[in-house]
Amino acid sequence: MIELIEKIEGEAKLNFSFAGEEIDFVDIEFMTARNIEKILEGKSALDALVINPRVCGICGHAHLIATVKALEDCYENIEISKKAEIIRELTLTFELIQNHFKWFYLTMRPLFGKKQEVLKATYPTQLMAKAIAVFGGQYPHTSYAIVGGVVCDITEIDIIKIKHYIEETIKFFETNLVQADTKDFLVCDNVDKVLKKNGDLPDILREIKKKKYLDHGKSYDRFIAFGENSYFTKGKSHKTITTHNISIDYVKEQDNLNSLAKNVTYKDKYYEVGPLARAMINKVPLVKDSHRRYGDNIFSRIIARVCEIPQLLNHSKELLEKLDLSEPSYIEPNIDISQINASGESAVEAARGSLIHKVELENGIIKNYEIITPTQWNLGNGTRENLGVSQQAMVGLKDVKTAELVFKTFDVCSVCTTH
Amino acid sequence: MVSDTLYKKLSARVNELSKLPKLDDQKSIPKLIEENGFSRREFMTWAGTMTAMLALPASYTPLIAKAAEVADRLPVIWLHMAECTGCTESLLRSASPSIDSLIFDHISLEYQETIMSAAGWQAEQNLENAIEKYKDRYVLMVEGGIPHGKGSHFLTIGGHGKTGEQSAIDAAEHAAAIFAIGTCSSFGGVQAAAPNPTNATSLSNVTSKPVINVPGCPPSESNIVGTLLHFLLYGSLPALDAYNRPKWAYGLRIHDMCERRGHFDAGEFVEQFGDDGAKNGFCLYKVGCKGPYTFNNCSRQKFNEGTSWPVQAGHGCAGCSEPDFWDTMGVLHEPLADRLFHTTFGGLGSDATADKIGLGLLTVTAVGIAAHAAISAVKKPKE
Repeated sequence: MIELIEKIEGEAKLNFSFAGEEIDFVDIEFMTARNIEKILEGKSALDALVINPRVCGICGHAHLIATVKALEDCYENIEISKKAEIIRELTLTFELIQNHFKWFYLTMRPLFGKKQEVLKATYPTQLMAKAIAVFGGQYPHTSYAIVGGVVCDITEIDIIKIKHYIEETIKFFETNLVQADTKDFLVCDNVDKVLKKNGDLPDILREIKKKKYLDHGKSYDRFIAFGENSYFTKGKSHKTITTHNISIDYVKEQDNLNSLAKNVTYKDKYYEVGPLARAMINKVPLVKDSHRRYGDNIFSRIIARVCEIPQLLNHSKELLEKLDLSEPSYIEPNIDISQINASGESAVEAARGSLIHKVELENGIIKNYEIITPTQWNLGNGTRENLGVSQQAMVGLKDVKTAELVFKTFDVCSVCTTH
Repeated sequence: MVSDTLYKKLSARVNELSKLPKLDDQKSIPKLIEENGFSRREFMTWAGTMTAMLALPASYTPLIAKAAEVADRLPVIWLHMAECTGCTESLLRSASPSIDSLIFDHISLEYQETIMSAAGWQAEQNLENAIEKYKDRYVLMVEGGIPHGKGSHFLTIGGHGKTGEQSAIDAAEHAAAIFAIGTCSSFGGVQAAAPNPTNATSLSNVTSKPVINVPGCPPSESNIVGTLLHFLLYGSLPALDAYNRPKWAYGLRIHDMCERRGHFDAGEFVEQFGDDGAKNGFCLYKVGCKGPYTFNNCSRQKFNEGTSWPVQAGHGCAGCSEPDFWDTMGVLHEPLADRLFHTTFGGLGSDATADKIGLGLLTVTAVGIAAHAAISAVKKPKE
């Protein structure tokens, strides 16, 4: 049975195979491709800064930051001011936050039969987009981060604006998502306490329990995160064991026979990426509690994603405090990029998980470019013998509607996957 | 007097629309706006902003408001082709929340992959039904380039395994108006950049129907919503430039309306990012701004509720609303020189579209660019 999945910023085809009443295999096909990596070949290195955000309109900023970091990795020595680092991290963080709101209100809630409340999705989204625009000029698709720093020279007034956007978003979260003080919510380590609260998140979580969906969406309980910044930690986790010693060298991308999207593995194994993976590696108390009780199911996936919103908002406030406007925004690299013959790589945490960029430069011209997106990790189209993460999570379910719900808890993004 | 004639014409169109049946009898736009917590005053403020954007006199504001109120008579189909969903993202951040509600809750958006509730076969059926039911009445908006001909298999969509190209052709066939939203749909976009692996092309290249291009990567939300409002008001296609872009939005150059223009005229340039010029908001031409070659209203409308735009943030314009800018306007951070006379429109320069700009001024500008570029010690212009 073939089911077409929409509302994933593009579409995918899920070909379900049943054994008796249960799904025993799902073939995941993406039928579009743009070949951005081919387009990058032969172009000037700096052109990647304007092309790559266009890989994805949903997480284009993550692609910009990954690009600039990969290009900077080609230098033996390059100096970036603390100020530029913080500004880049702030804009990336704002992008994550607004994505989580959109996913929750536009994708998740309607799947539980709730009304699609567009305004609830767009209001906090607009606030965060404006915060990005103050630094970057516009959102989506800014190219304000450049090799050596950022181009903006912001003032105290800009900081006041951004603080206001953050506070408004916190207010929105506290009024709508979980009706509680975010400070209390951040230290909460008990799922039961959240379930007793009012708000759109507890509402959905209670629904999962009521509908007996708690065993839905379990996969390998294997998580990975490569992007490291002042908030996220690099590492992998299997069940409850976490290690931080991982390397991009073991990441392998493979062509897929049935689909135009490529599969990605770490040491030949499929791993889940995204907010649940980050929370497991960062050991976020509330998410750990959910995982201890219910495992890597849809409940944990939803709570991890929504829980990340106040964490990141709070962290943004701390980052803003560290910003020293007297530092330079940009420090000219010691060598012109046209003289660079080197390879570079980067990893950042995008809303949906780890995003990896690899570049090879020859006299400043792109010889090779490789992009590995989060959805490739989660939506690997494995074989019956070796299922991908979301395939594993869908096997055993009894109907395609529930399978679609499970599939979408991974917050899949077609346009990224089919770059 | 001219204005009076126009007012009568637009009023007649809005009255005509208001007599049409609503697509959904259960809803009324003013009532829903009120329910969503927006006062009449806020709605009128929004209408005033839109009036100014469409270059109409302020006295037209009530008429614009009325046009928006009858927007639920207009079925809209929005297709995604080879794209990044950036245009939808831009639209989702429409300036005022009342516009969001207008577009997404009240105008019957019959098909929009990213935000519609329907999925799977139901979604595909919705599209087919909408095309049939609103034959010759619906507005088609297309986001994304079209993988074309031998490359068309790179965008196979739907349970029937149709190519994107075929879906676009079919939907265009019976549309009352067709808008190519974004640079991809207008000109092929990023996927059409050399070597164009999927043979992506513009919407206008796959259909013989007239297509209005609303380029930009992404276009601002106001240009997207304004395009729809313009059609609602006039019921006809807007005045266009040589690239089929509405003149009300793309009639003037970024450069001519730029907040840093005074510095250009005074010869004050950012020579290097992070220098004193950058701190003082000098002209970004020497660090690669393509504003002198780009037609759009970014500097007036800005992005994200008028928060900012790239030049304000210190980054030059990338020229994203111009055809093939990926291939012709690189390198990003290097200035182009002499381009006005050698490229678009058979050597006339892209300024040929801005027929209202005085030739004298243009010449001065062009000479200015060449002169400043030539004396630049830091960045050599790309010939």
